[in-house]
Amino acid sequence: MLELSRRRFLIGVGLSGLAVASPRLMAAGSSAGEQAFHSRPIPSTGESVPAIGMGTWITFNVGGDQYLIDQRTRVLETFLERNGTVIDCSPMYGSAADVIGAGLDKLHAHDRIFAATKIWTSDGSETREQAATSERRWGIDRFDLLQVHNLLAWQEHLATLKEMKAEGRVRYIGITTSHGRRHSELARVMETEPLDFVQLTYNVLDREAEERLLPLARERGIAVLVNRPFQGGSLFRRFQSEPLPSWAGEAGVGNWAEFFLKFIISHPAVTCAIPATTSVEHMQENMGAMYGQLPDASQRRMMAEYVRQL
Amino acid sequence: MNGATWLSYSLQDFVMFGPEVFLRLFARINQDLWPWLLLWPLAGLVLPWFGRQAAELPRRLAMALAGLAWIGCGYLFLVRYYGPVNWPATGFGWAFVVQGLLLLLLKGRALPAPMTWPAAVSWWLAILLLPWLSVLEMPDLWALALFGLAPGVTVAATVLLFARQPSPLRWLLLALPLAWTLFSAATYWALGTFWLLGFPVATLVLLVVAFRVNPSPAQTPDSQSVRPGPGRQSP
Ligand SMILES: NC(=O)c1ccc[n+]([C@@H]2O[C@H](COP(=O)([O-])OP(=O)(O)OC[C@H]3O[C@@H](n4cnc5c(N)ncnc54)[C@H](OP(=O)(O)O)[C@@H]3O)[C@@H](O)[C@H]2O)c1
Repeated sequence: MLELSRRRFLIGVGLSGLAVASPRLMAAGSSAGEQAFHSRPIPSTGESVPAIGMGTWITFNVGGDQYLIDQRTRVLETFLERNGTVIDCSPMYGSAADVIGAGLDKLHAHDRIFAATKIWTSDGSETREQAATSERRWGIDRFDLLQVHNLLAWQEHLATLKEMKAEGRVRYIGITTSHGRRHSELARVMETEPLDFVQLTYNVLDREAEERLLPLARERGIAVLVNRPFQGGSLFRRFQSEPLPSWAGEAGVGNWAEFFLKFIISHPAVTCAIPATTSVEHMQENMGAMYGQLPDASQRRMMAEYVRQL
Repeated sequence: MNGATWLSYSLQDFVMFGPEVFLRLFARINQDLWPWLLLWPLAGLVLPWFGRQAAELPRRLAMALAGLAWIGCGYLFLVRYYGPVNWPATGFGWAFVVQGLLLLLLKGRALPAPMTWPAAVSWWLAILLLPWLSVLEMPDLWALALFGLAPGVTVAATVLLFARQPSPLRWLLLALPLAWTLFSAATYWALGTFWLLGFPVATLVLLVVAFRVNPSPAQTPDSQSVRPGPGRQSP
């Protein structure tokens, strides 16, 4: 769980007010010599989180394979070294929670993360039990964020999550969807429920969220976690062999990972994108998107147009 | 979920692990069980020799060895190794164990007739050639998919025995291999591990071979002699 460090406190308090107006102004660093990184405030509290997090679907589900557990621990270590904190998981992701737990143990990093998982059961009475099981698997006392996975039994789970938040058993609550599914239903929940976070799919090709959900999140003061930022990896398969546009440097983009991620985190409603990877090199690339200049609104339009033409 | 939501899912959305994790299962189980793992392929090699005997006892033994192979790959490979990364594998694993126990309990109804030479040769080819499919995907000798541990090879070879059973037992025994064939083919396709598709394909080919080289047990003269009929009580 995240304990606010002095650096993050300064970033959060000092810069959160500026962030909504201009994501470009939200780059923050602690001291001379350390590069500034982009972070975003969680609207319901103003607390800041780094704009790039880490997903764990498929990538961290390695079972009892010690060689791969060690390798994924190095991926996690790289993430933390580059100032990442937000880690997203779900009981649906097989052994991923245990692998995160093993990595956190080895790196003594339980208090350096913003721990986010989901409630994924059709039994609406199992919310607390499943949260407790996930806490045990991660080796933490409580989650920063608990989300109802894919709106599954959301009425029951959300009612319990609200109670848990009031009791201090969790800091933030939210709800997730992906692949553009059930946006109308999610919008209704966002309009009527006191959510801290929503999680949805948004990337340079899947932009449906721009129409309703992202503006609604801004209006209602709900933080947005973005899943499938690389469309599950297919953006690389489709575009990596193509050249970056000649103006990429002006938009602060040095490679395709930065192209895809900076497109996302420069949207003013987005709080944090959560790409997943099995590779230390890819993690380094992805975390690179948290640094340097971000594209402005017109450059974002050019980015979307460029990939559409490819 | 409505129909449109279901239609938005692809096969890949249901696979919750990567190819490296799956391929390393073969190497991990072999390394962990070395050298005892050699017992399973050895049992696989001698099984047709038992299966070809005219006497009933060796043929029962052949069926019992097949049962142990199903229990081995059900519990070890599927439940212990594969289950933690893929929920349905645990269910399949326990079903494999039940099928293995069923084979052990079959006793007198073991192999209704001695295995034919074509069936025996197909068996040996299956357990000697199919293990290399996983090595073609992951170039490491430790990754050999061995009979009795790896489900693909075990299922492909043993359908040769199940197809010999009289109905309805034959279909009872073939239901799980066919379900596994479908499930594993979908998984390998989604993972992009195309060499491994050789396992389900081989299972179907061997099933066809089994039906062609083994006439229905009800029509074979020696099968009549071992099947308990109305006027004949088994001990
Ligand atoms: N309903 C929900 O709540 C829901 C649904 C979907 C996802 N999620 C969350 O969102 C997270 C992210 O989505 P996702 O995992 O589906 O897809 P994603 O992050 O869009 O893509 C992951 C894929 O991109 C590849 N990749 C990552 N960085 C790369 C780089 N720099 N260069 C080349 N390839 C790279 C990875 O391969 P390598 O391993 O080779 O790097 C992996 O195959 C999930 O892990 C999960 O936590 C939640």
